[in-house]
Amino acid sequence: MNYLNCDKIPRRDFLRIGALAGIGLGLSEYLAMADGGAISNRAKARAAIFVRLGGGPSHMDTFDLKPDAPDTHRGEFKEIATNVPGIRICEHLPKLAKCADRYVILRGVSHNLAAHELGLLYLGTGNRPTPALHYPGYGAVVSKELGGVAEIPPFVAIPTEGVDPSGYLGVEYGPFETASAPMAGRSMEIRGLTLKDSLTLTDVDRRQDMLRKYDQAFGNFAAKDKLLAGMDQFSQKAYAMMRSSKTRDAFDLRKESAAISAMFGNDSFSQSCMLATRLVETGVRFVTVNLRGWDTHTNNFNTLKNTNLPTLDSGLSGLFLALEAKGLLGSTSVFVTGEFGRTPKINDRGGRDHWPRAMCCLFGGGGIQGGRVVGESDAKGEGPKGSPISPDDVAASFYQTLGIDSHKEYRTPTGRPVMIVRNGTAIKELVG
Amino acid sequence: MKTFLLSRIGLFVAGLVLATGEASALDSGVSQEQEPSFRRHVIPLLSRSGCSGRECHGSFAGQGGFRLSLFGYDFEADHKALTQDTGGDEGEVRVNLKDPAKSLLLLKPTAQVKHKGKERFKKDSWEYNLLLRWITAGAKDDAAQAPEFERLEVIPKEVVFQSAGQKVQVKVLAHWKNGTAEDVTLLTRFRSNDDAIATVSDKGLVESLGKGDTHIVAFYDNGVAPISVMLPVGEFVGAKYPQIRATTKVDELVLTKLRKLGIVPSEPCTDAEFLRRVSLDLAGTLPTPAEAVKFLTDKSPDKRAKKIDELLESPGYAAWWATKLCDFTGNSTRQIFSENVPDLNGEFSRQWWEWLYRRVAGNEPYDKLAAGIILATSRSSPDQSYKDYALEMASYLRHDHPADFAQRATMPYFWARKNVQKPEDRALAFAHAFLGVRIECAQCHKHPFDQWTKTDYVQFQAFFEPVRYDADIRRDDVNFATVTKDLRLATGGKMEMRNKNDEQAQGEEIRRRIDAGEIFPIHEVYIATRHPRNTTVKQDTQVYAGRVLTPKLLGGDEVLLKGYADPREPLVQWLHSKDNPYFARAFVNRVWAAYFHRGLIEPVDDMNLANPPVNAELTDYLTADFIAHGYDMKRLHRTILNSDTYQRSWRPNVTNEGDDRNFSRFIVRRLPAEVLLDAMTLATTTNERQQTFVADVAHREIGPNITAFGLELFGKNSQPNYTLAAFGKSPREMNCDCERTTVPTLLQTLYTRNDPEMLARIENQRTETPAWITQLRGPLHAQSTAPGKLDQWIAEAFLRTVSRPPTMEELQNARGDIAAAKDPIDGLRDLLWAMLNTREFSVNH
Repeated sequence: MNYLNCDKIPRRDFLRIGALAGIGLGLSEYLAMADGGAISNRAKARAAIFVRLGGGPSHMDTFDLKPDAPDTHRGEFKEIATNVPGIRICEHLPKLAKCADRYVILRGVSHNLAAHELGLLYLGTGNRPTPALHYPGYGAVVSKELGGVAEIPPFVAIPTEGVDPSGYLGVEYGPFETASAPMAGRSMEIRGLTLKDSLTLTDVDRRQDMLRKYDQAFGNFAAKDKLLAGMDQFSQKAYAMMRSSKTRDAFDLRKESAAISAMFGNDSFSQSCMLATRLVETGVRFVTVNLRGWDTHTNNFNTLKNTNLPTLDSGLSGLFLALEAKGLLGSTSVFVTGEFGRTPKINDRGGRDHWPRAMCCLFGGGGIQGGRVVGESDAKGEGPKGSPISPDDVAASFYQTLGIDSHKEYRTPTGRPVMIVRNGTAIKELVG
Repeated sequence: MKTFLLSRIGLFVAGLVLATGEASALDSGVSQEQEPSFRRHVIPLLSRSGCSGRECHGSFAGQGGFRLSLFGYDFEADHKALTQDTGGDEGEVRVNLKDPAKSLLLLKPTAQVKHKGKERFKKDSWEYNLLLRWITAGAKDDAAQAPEFERLEVIPKEVVFQSAGQKVQVKVLAHWKNGTAEDVTLLTRFRSNDDAIATVSDKGLVESLGKGDTHIVAFYDNGVAPISVMLPVGEFVGAKYPQIRATTKVDELVLTKLRKLGIVPSEPCTDAEFLRRVSLDLAGTLPTPAEAVKFLTDKSPDKRAKKIDELLESPGYAAWWATKLCDFTGNSTRQIFSENVPDLNGEFSRQWWEWLYRRVAGNEPYDKLAAGIILATSRSSPDQSYKDYALEMASYLRHDHPADFAQRATMPYFWARKNVQKPEDRALAFAHAFLGVRIECAQCHKHPFDQWTKTDYVQFQAFFEPVRYDADIRRDDVNFATVTKDLRLATGGKMEMRNKNDEQAQGEEIRRRIDAGEIFPIHEVYIATRHPRNTTVKQDTQVYAGRVLTPKLLGGDEVLLKGYADPREPLVQWLHSKDNPYFARAFVNRVWAAYFHRGLIEPVDDMNLANPPVNAELTDYLTADFIAHGYDMKRLHRTILNSDTYQRSWRPNVTNEGDDRNFSRFIVRRLPAEVLLDAMTLATTTNERQQTFVADVAHREIGPNITAFGLELFGKNSQPNYTLAAFGKSPREMNCDCERTTVPTLLQTLYTRNDPEMLARIENQRTETPAWITQLRGPLHAQSTAPGKLDQWIAEAFLRTVSRPPTMEELQNARGDIAAAKDPIDGLRDLLWAMLNTREFSVNH
């Protein structure tokens, strides 16, 4: 496969292998250390996990089934009851059905960008993409607003984040990409972090000291130039990561307790979710986890039934339960979304095509009261019933759970003032 | 004619009236004069009002049961959608001929009835009245009498503001092929390419907001016209601008623009900076310490020009630019692989690179080089038999002493890639590689920022339909089918491959035959002789009803393919024609971008009318010069590199600190992946190996490098090279120059600091490129630690990495650092490590 999606977004997730270091602080110590100036008192979340379902999952076959729709639309799957009376989801998500009290289903989310890349950008930034300006993704904004501790990258993507994820904020707010997804029972290879041969921490320190002396060629300009400033940030971070003795632990899933491990499947999505909980535990502010392959233009039902839904079911239910078990659910905001929904009408290849006019998202943790459905789609799942929820509003809500004012203005490199999310307001019903 | 023209202008007195923000004269014009035209007025009005946008009725599913063609260019369908029952959800006709004022076309956009798109204009406004007049007159399409659109003119073409907040009204004239013109300002869509610099109202009022330059773009019909807009950056404008000598024509044209903007260019760079910069940019190669010393001590005044000439003759130049041409033309190992012989994977990609290398080294004119790719067929002559073709291929592919593929007149693999087998994909790949144009949009709808319509795309695509890559079994008794059958019999008699073992057996037999010089089955690029495109298109008849599709060059004429044996011939003739706006320009722009980190047109491969060059005069000059001198690539490099503009320092002054688009200073950028990795190797290997490594391009990263992204799509050889990928080498699969990236990442820093591969470069373990430090510890140990020698090694560590001697302060620091180390060589190794980790090393500056 060269292309992941029908509109040829390249698969670059093979690109980078890497790692992240934690310094082994407990969360409370970490929080005491972290610069939390921007966090408002009301916000409960101190970290976020963004689960991206690339390709655009079919809303009508996951969390917004329409059992009364005509044959041409309804689809093959049946609804099942969840542990919250009145909330029903797809029969192939039994584990998520058992923990529906941990999350909110947002239905009737609606926009009009039916191309993968544009949809991903919209749902990943809360701003309609424009050719003139690249908006920063959530991870970049959260890194900037909430900061982090020096030894830990604030923003980690498993395995990758996509093109230009930090937009006009510049490369220094870009994600640390793991490049590969973790595999069960193995430590992730952390190339470039492990100290080999006779190299000691003393050597690392001495070299760092030397580097500082010789890396002076650009003088004052180094701080003004985006590229040079960004490279310096990476340099500082790499040094801190190399010095950290607990680096391997965060990535070594074998170190996870048996009780937590048992909550997850062995597939790479489940393991990625488990890794995300470990990273948040270590002090990472923002983790992106990807589950791709939702672009079901053909053979929608078999693909979902046999692969996507079981994978999503174990990974996501594990994520909620593990965060809870670790005492992190209240302080970690979880946001799950694709780039759009899929056509309510089934096409003649047994598939569903792109459909941005109706889609659904999940929210959980971060102080959000779970076990609810917010918003509604119409009888055939073709569009929102009542007033639509825009991706801008969803983004503003997500930021609010983290105490970030989505109307805050940033300056682009050319000095232009731009709001984090210009057109969105937090959804009252969702985040209060 | 003249009276008619005046009356047309009178119809839309927009220009003058609009400056005051009123449009009342317009509706009186409309009501008094003739009826509005569907194609000239109604559709542009709907487009400008946003009705045919993607989020509204331009959506492929329409909106509220009403659909318009996206960005409005399908007049027939749009007319039908407005005047007939579309059978959509609402099933309503949009115009009401009996009671025009009750038309949905008027009630909806004025929000008199519920309209999801809210109010687009007011009742009784000029827009309203225009539509009303059109409906009252019968809501007719004016296909027959409407003259064809010729061009769009904007007045003024350039605006130089004196202060922020100033406003200028723009006027837009549409010229028709019958010689008439019309003021269409009010029917034009406007866009600012950078609204931090200037904004534009929907009536064409431009307001200056910030310092710098950009373009306002006007869109009407399929005309697109940019207006250059600027506000000087500093006070050094006009007479206050300092005297700066322009050495070359390039400098003169760059300075003309800088003078308008009040930007003063940076000082010339130092000799050390120049040598490092030009070696890396032109030849992808870090200068060796010996070369640096020689250049820095050379006293001749023309040493920079001589260095450029010298580098142009170096293997590094040919290798690096062959690699860049592989980027542009999409030489992807993973897209040209052998069906059944994994062993051959990568060989075709290597041959592709070698073919280019030979031509770049020999300075073959770029147009000939391009024609050798575009017109390529697999058989080396029209009368070559399949058998001889297969044997010829075997000669290139055999293990021992393979024949020289690069001497072939043509290189057919451009067409052999798996990802360009459909005519539409061939059209996209061709447009990207040789025109620097992105026409993807027009595959489905009118290009939003350019003139291309869906019809243009389909007509252009027709050139590529007869180009095939498979088995041409029409004329030879011995052909792909017979040879395949024979091969299968020879490996067990099965006609179908049933399992891995059969595949493997056949693969081995092919390998044996190739090495033995025997015939083996292999596909070929050829032209299918039947013209599939001289008939009416059957599918999509609604859109193309009644039209016979004739191949049409992008923005050019229709071509009767019957006169050509190969439809690609008229294509190449068109590339060559004087007024071809893309071919030469695209290459000039890519070469420029390689030296300035930004194209004259940026993005480099997105030439469109709404994306004009940042310096049009300079672009025109370089393009004309390139053509006038027979597409001489070396001359082009020389012209650019010998300019003061290329040789400016990165050090900014107060006026140009913010300038990253007008070439007033050198823009610091990270080295490309291959160049950086080669530089790491060159900086760390022995002096002896340095001398040979420079020319050993077959084994350098800037060379063919066929394993960079794996040799198969699946399977054991599919792993990409970790390091090259991490540093952003292009996989060449996407028709986008943006596939190559030089953005820094944390991972890259971790690599340079602590990757096992990197540490092995610095000290031992790499047999092909033995480490300098290891040599100093071993054979040269006595010498290296001799008193007085240390300063020399310190200087060499600097020359090896940043191509300059250390400053006094750096030298003293290094002495101290080395003295503090356990062993002087350990200290020197750490110094080398530190230098490799400086930003000065991994950027070009």
